[in-house]
Amino acid sequence: MKNIETRHWTFLGLFVCIGLVMLIDVKLDIPVSAQTRKMFDFIDSLPAGSVLMVSFDHEASSLPEIRPIGLVILRHAFAKGHRLIGVALLAEGTVIGYRLMQKTAAEYGREYGQDYVYLGFKPQYIAAILSMGESIPRTFPQDYLGRPYEQFDLLRDVDNYDDVAAVISVTDGSLTTHWMEYGGARYGVRVLSGMTAAMVTTFDPYVASGQMHSLVAGLRGAAEYERLINREVGGERGMLAQTTAHLYVIALVLLGNLIYFRSRRKRKSA
Amino acid sequence: MSDPATIIAGLLTLAILSFLYRDNPIYKMAESLLIGVSIGYTLVIVWTSTLMDLLFKPLFSDGQYALMLPLVLGLLMFGRFLAKTSSLSRIPIAVMIGSGAGVAIPVMLEARTLKQMSATVTPLVIESGFPDLSAIVVIAGVLTTLSYFYFSREHKGTLGKSAKIGTYFLMIFFGATFGYTVMSRMSTFIGRMEFLLTEFLHLSG
Amino acid sequence: MDRKVALGVCFIFGLVMFAQYFSQHPAARSINQAILEYWQIIFAFTLLVGVVSVFKNNVVQIRRGQDRSYRLITLAGLVAMPFLALIWGIKADMPFMWVFENIQAPMQSTVFALLAFFVASASFRGFRARSVPAAILLLSALIILLSRSAVGTFIFPQMTEVADWIRHYPSMSARRAILIGIGLGSLTTSMRVILGIERTWLGGGK
Repeated sequence: MKNIETRHWTFLGLFVCIGLVMLIDVKLDIPVSAQTRKMFDFIDSLPAGSVLMVSFDHEASSLPEIRPIGLVILRHAFAKGHRLIGVALLAEGTVIGYRLMQKTAAEYGREYGQDYVYLGFKPQYIAAILSMGESIPRTFPQDYLGRPYEQFDLLRDVDNYDDVAAVISVTDGSLTTHWMEYGGARYGVRVLSGMTAAMVTTFDPYVASGQMHSLVAGLRGAAEYERLINREVGGERGMLAQTTAHLYVIALVLLGNLIYFRSRRKRKSA
Repeated sequence: MSDPATIIAGLLTLAILSFLYRDNPIYKMAESLLIGVSIGYTLVIVWTSTLMDLLFKPLFSDGQYALMLPLVLGLLMFGRFLAKTSSLSRIPIAVMIGSGAGVAIPVMLEARTLKQMSATVTPLVIESGFPDLSAIVVIAGVLTTLSYFYFSREHKGTLGKSAKIGTYFLMIFFGATFGYTVMSRMSTFIGRMEFLLTEFLHLSG
Repeated sequence: MDRKVALGVCFIFGLVMFAQYFSQHPAARSINQAILEYWQIIFAFTLLVGVVSVFKNNVVQIRRGQDRSYRLITLAGLVAMPFLALIWGIKADMPFMWVFENIQAPMQSTVFALLAFFVASASFRGFRARSVPAAILLLSALIILLSRSAVGTFIFPQMTEVADWIRHYPSMSARRAILIGIGLGSLTTSMRVILGIERTWLGGGK
């Protein structure tokens, strides 16, 4: 017990709170925000067969949060009959994106080469984004599994961003900034994003200026999107636990400040 | 009973979580494995997706001999391992740094500076004649925060007051960012708990 | 001499990549595409150098007897992944994919999940309203946290609207100012790098 410090009690408290709440199967009623609706409306309004590029610009560390976001976007796009090109600008996103696209495509009976192609990873994301603006086949002469670009029906008429309706960057960092700045500003490609909640305030100025069309953020964003597409991806399930976690942190902040101000008053009166 | 993959993933998850108590040999072993596997993974992905795709196949199979130049430049990077040849690695680095700086200039100017400035300049009075408070807040926020980052003059007088207000806007931003960051980190933990409770321990449906 | 050559190379490539932005001529676009490819290839080699460096350091430490068992595990992982990819490939349901999905990804996301605990602990121990700016930070964070939970609207019906307004206006304006500052700073730094005024990237030595 000598080794148990204050932080261990806060850790234990969080563990117990979340653990207990997760044993309860309750789905909370989450209203859909305007920005989630905006992305949904965009993908929904595209004519069937539109080509969308989905870029998996994230690492495995944020998988629990980013996977539901990627899933809802892919499910919506496949359900609408859009054709998807998958790329990854971070190495870890490569395999995650490949598996996610493969599994989701199978749910909707989509065929590789006709309805979706996964091109894989290219390093140095700025060079990759600029290079795709000139020529996607020159940037990705082969797909992820080493088959020639020309082999795929879907890619026959896709040469650069002019042939793509939008790029959707699924990210846990600031890589979407480069999509907007190098892809959007230079080549005029429309950029949408699914991102972790931590990155939201980073991208707010870009949404306000119109450089980013729309974004879906965090597990809550995934839960909102779930409602719109009527498919469960785990977003709504996590909302009760999310609420509990937030209340726990708020309680800790208030308690910490209460202790601080009381001890400050005691020191002043002493 | 979970399948072997789930058991392994679950045990490794618990090994990492053991760090919360304190650093221990089980955590260290898991961490070492993670580092090794991550580096090996990156090596495979970079080799297959870039070096084979963009260099070796076009160079040796398709006869694009112009690619000898990036091959040589890339090999010069290995000069770092010997003291005598380490300075040679500056040349490929110079190619990357120079290229990056060159493409950044127009982009930083257009996309990050001018576009953001133009988005700030919006009508301050709406059609009905009333002031648009939100637009006023945005302009005030941008100008005062910029004044906070202006270090060529001492923050006294009007500049000092402006910088102080800018500080308050920055605190609002940091507070909002903290709130969203908490949300994000909790989501990641909730995801791992979901895995442990449903797939590993079968305590939840 | 080497430094001058490197500075010269940096200047040439910087100038070329800056100039091609303003040209749609096929020759310019061709040069642009070629340099972008070279850039990616060289970058891939820098990653290789990193891998070799890690391998080398671990071998040296193992020879010295420092944390031998941990370093052997690291090397085993490092060697195993390319071996698995070489023998069975990188397709779905292959060993390479299995190791990524059941060893790397779970551990990586758990390491990140640890941050949730540290954030909670930091909230209790460090988040104090000691001054007016700190109090504003605290209030902003609390409003966002409450609005993002399901109970925010029970405490204050317009909680979501207030939080959204804070995010889209005052918070956004501060972030915009930071972006403008970074943009101007990056612009000048890029110019200094191309002109050889900024030389920190050259490192030490002759």
